[in-house]
Amino acid sequence: MSTALLQELYQEVRRLYIAGSDLAAGDFRLKRLLPQFQQLGERAAVFKRLGEGITSLLEPGDGQGTPAAVRLQELTLLLESVLYTQGVTAPEGTPGELRSRNLSLDTKFPYRKLAVVRQALTTTGSGRYEIVTEAFKEGMFQDLRLLPLAIAALNDPYSEIAEFSMTEILPAYGPAIAGYLIENLNIAGGKSEVRKLKTIAKAGGTEVLEEIFQAAETGSDDIRAAAIECLGCHEVYLPALLEWSTDKKKVIREAAYKALATGGSPQGEDRLYEAFAAKKDRELVADAVVYSSSEPLAERLSVLYMQELREAPQENVDKKKTEEVWSRIRPFATVLSGQRNPQLDELYSYVIQEYARFASLGYTTIINEAAWYKQRAASESAFEELQQLQKLDSRYFPHYFRAAQQLMTPDELYRHFGGTMINKLKAVVTKDSAQRNKLLMDTIKEQVMTAEELLYDAVWDPQRERQYRELGMLSPEKIQAAWDLRWLDLFIHRDVPELVCAFAHPGHEESRRYLLNKLSEQNNQQKRQRNHEFFTNIFTGLERSGMQDPELLELMMSVMENEKNYNPYRFDYAQFQQMLRFPASFSSRLEALLPNQRYYESRAQLEYVIHQLRSRE
Amino acid sequence: MPELTSSYVDSLAPNAAAIKNGQGLVRKKSFLQLHTSENGELLFGQCAGSGKTPYECSVDFITPESPVFRCTCPSRQFPCKHALGLLYAYVEGQAFTPAPVPEDVASKREKVEKREENKAKQAAEGTESKPKKVNKSALKKKIGAQLEGLDLLEKLVLSLIRGGLSTIDSKTVKTVQEHVKQLGNYYLSGAQTQLRHFALLLGKAEDREEGYTYAMEQLTRLHAFIRKGRVYLTARAEDPELALDHESTIDEWLGHAWQLSELREYGLVKENVELLQLAFYSYDDPARQEFVDLGYWLETAGGEIHRTVNYRPYKAAKLMREEDSFFELARIPLLYTYPGDMNVRVRYEEMTPRAISDADFDKVSAKASRSYAETLKKVKNQLKNPLSDKTPVVLLHAASVGVTEGGQYVITDETGTGLVLEDIPSLPQGTLELLPFLPATTLKDCCILVMFEHLLDQGRLIAQPLTLIQGGSITRLLY
Repeated sequence: MSTALLQELYQEVRRLYIAGSDLAAGDFRLKRLLPQFQQLGERAAVFKRLGEGITSLLEPGDGQGTPAAVRLQELTLLLESVLYTQGVTAPEGTPGELRSRNLSLDTKFPYRKLAVVRQALTTTGSGRYEIVTEAFKEGMFQDLRLLPLAIAALNDPYSEIAEFSMTEILPAYGPAIAGYLIENLNIAGGKSEVRKLKTIAKAGGTEVLEEIFQAAETGSDDIRAAAIECLGCHEVYLPALLEWSTDKKKVIREAAYKALATGGSPQGEDRLYEAFAAKKDRELVADAVVYSSSEPLAERLSVLYMQELREAPQENVDKKKTEEVWSRIRPFATVLSGQRNPQLDELYSYVIQEYARFASLGYTTIINEAAWYKQRAASESAFEELQQLQKLDSRYFPHYFRAAQQLMTPDELYRHFGGTMINKLKAVVTKDSAQRNKLLMDTIKEQVMTAEELLYDAVWDPQRERQYRELGMLSPEKIQAAWDLRWLDLFIHRDVPELVCAFAHPGHEESRRYLLNKLSEQNNQQKRQRNHEFFTNIFTGLERSGMQDPELLELMMSVMENEKNYNPYRFDYAQFQQMLRFPASFSSRLEALLPNQRYYESRAQLEYVIHQLRSRE
Repeated sequence: MPELTSSYVDSLAPNAAAIKNGQGLVRKKSFLQLHTSENGELLFGQCAGSGKTPYECSVDFITPESPVFRCTCPSRQFPCKHALGLLYAYVEGQAFTPAPVPEDVASKREKVEKREENKAKQAAEGTESKPKKVNKSALKKKIGAQLEGLDLLEKLVLSLIRGGLSTIDSKTVKTVQEHVKQLGNYYLSGAQTQLRHFALLLGKAEDREEGYTYAMEQLTRLHAFIRKGRVYLTARAEDPELALDHESTIDEWLGHAWQLSELREYGLVKENVELLQLAFYSYDDPARQEFVDLGYWLETAGGEIHRTVNYRPYKAAKLMREEDSFFELARIPLLYTYPGDMNVRVRYEEMTPRAISDADFDKVSAKASRSYAETLKKVKNQLKNPLSDKTPVVLLHAASVGVTEGGQYVITDETGTGLVLEDIPSLPQGTLELLPFLPATTLKDCCILVMFEHLLDQGRLIAQPLTLIQGGSITRLLY
């Protein structure tokens, strides 16, 4: 049967469908086909019928009889039926063997589980990352059908998913996947190809080094950089890495530095030191060396650092010059952060001695570094140096205080910072001493108020599973162990309510009075603080001061009732726990508060508390 | 009680969210009490909910193959997450303390027993339900309306063809959509779906050229439907006593939803059948306004490929059970078959699962078609009927699976006839990309379930592989 002719006719009727059947009458292209159909029609009935169909379609409609549209439909219907029997199924060419890979994956997961992951990896929207990581944990990516999706995920617009696929999902398939990815790697490509390359390096191990080396030689800049970084740990490629570290392109040098830093070979370190000392690539080398923990290199760099600091200008005369020197010195801080050696001890002592010079040059970062370094040193000499420093600039007072904490007993610490200064400051409150006082209190607050990390479930809303993280105050036991309790009097005196709350303890009547006073002050103030932490702290403080539940809870209830502006997004953990201790009789009072709750979370918490109270009734 | 595994519990859940929520209850330790009856047939417990009093939930395995779920929660999802959570807790190995059967469960069990007794009694007495009386005048009126609807549809179709597809703009699409609504008044829900499908084809502006091909095919299909429907309805209008057509799909096209009792009446049932699911997928059918869960099953005795279809209308989708892949063999005492072509739709009310044995795999392999020429003849024969299912599914035996230099995947039968594999447009996702990841042994002397589709504009008939069976293991490429 002449399939080509049928296809031709199909294209013609398709054209008429698009153009409209009214144009069919006398259509010359259709007319041109007619003779062939009539000729074939003599032998095959189907062609005869098709020919008749064409003929009737070509006739102009006279307004009676079958409309052209119907005739077109009839002809097409017949034609389609014929075409359906003529579908070609044979391949073009002889099939060869399929190259298969032994990944030994199965297909045991049901549709409902897979569909969720497929949707997560083929659409955009929130919550996808969790679905993917959960699925990976469940071992779902060992299902064959998720493999292409995992590979495609390297290109996911949400980079966390792409990274997760690169570092976790794909390497879990083992070396076999590396082979497949190598075949499909486009070394001229961009970001997703870079991820592919990193996956290959991770999954393929030493087997694929040659391919990676190839990519490092011939790929696009991004690919080359990524490939070079992968070669760091393999000594064979050291000569190549050394060569790349002098490449013209910055990205290549950068990658080579990183690779040399991870490799950690003596030659590599020589090269890194050389590049750092040469100043041109100093920042690149600094970023690379951060990842290496080589002490010899750090020591060599420390010596160089000292040398350059000594050479720095004595006075800030030439601003341009000062800045230029600064930009060269700054990378040292990056490289040497967290390092500790005798050279650095000496260096930072030098910085403190030369405080005036470096301050005038505007190199405060170095002075800060020195303060941190000395604070961590926890030695008598460092402490003394810090004492000098804070005298010169009160902003280093916290370092001084924290250094003291490491060296002194709680009693000594109190006497040094609380006991002695109290009288001085009482007499004359100069600007400087007020500043120091504030710094002291802030430093203590930092250590006491947000010391304990608390993770808890939102039990009040079980439908929507989620966790909250809060930073709470240090527990009374820990305060007692680490601090002198006399601080409490000082806090009252200096009027620091938060710290009074934390340090309050039974038997200290004054602190309770102070807190109650604060509470009523808050009530009277015209401009109330919209600070709901205040209430949480006060009630915790009152509890710590030994106030018994009936009194405490009644007080809390009445505050909640009277403070119309008290509208937290969420009651803090401590307060929520206290609310759960409410007597059952409070439930109706709490219910009356519900309409005032503006926020979903606090309302849900209140409702939960009410339920709990009711069930106790 | 059947052996409880977490995948078995998964299969009981109405949807994936219910699985997650049920497991969440266990993880959050929401179960206040976990009990089992002395004989272990009943699991029950208390689960904390958002309400004041905890929910009492239980799972009753008094008839092991169809567990009964009970819960005092107000959820309309069935089984609810509490009952599922109870089972997950059991699977996890949490301690269930023995306790007497709660009163309300005992009384409910009694009621069920009584109902069963009554049923048995009725069956024994042989009182068959009276045949439904047909309201002839109402039926005549309905058929009249349907014929009127067909006229309306025809008028629209012809006017569209007169004007040509190229002149169709958003205004025309709107008119078509209005007609879709109107057809609802003429008891022609099947035609409504087809016309909506056409409207959707027009609305899609992605690939106009391909769109024209599909739109044109849809128009001829509507034409064939109108013609056949009119003949059929005219015959029925003249003779209201005439039975439904239980051999062709015309009634379904007109919008008739077959009831199981009707199928039984026409003898469209089979007894004691074993079905093995070979492929499954679920898709959104905007023309039907429903989600469709489609399963392809091999009847191990006869070798036919049947399909199960579960429609979940958008409006009720949340509350309906979403079907899932099924990995065991289903033993079905009574299988209802719909009128249809190669892959008839089947339904069943009762089923017990059984693990697949090696003997079953031998049967499967024996049922696979070994001559592509013969199969293709059958497939083409079905395709040429304008109202037929255009994507038939068959099980083929392949001597080998290979790839040509041009990258065409090809299966070859024992006589050396090759058949091109390709991803077909009708399926929501491709499967060919998975073939290179299969071990070489799977690709020789294997059985492949494929779905055919004819590409009219290319004149090619292609097949997409759905599932591969080889060496006692089933590799599902779809789901």
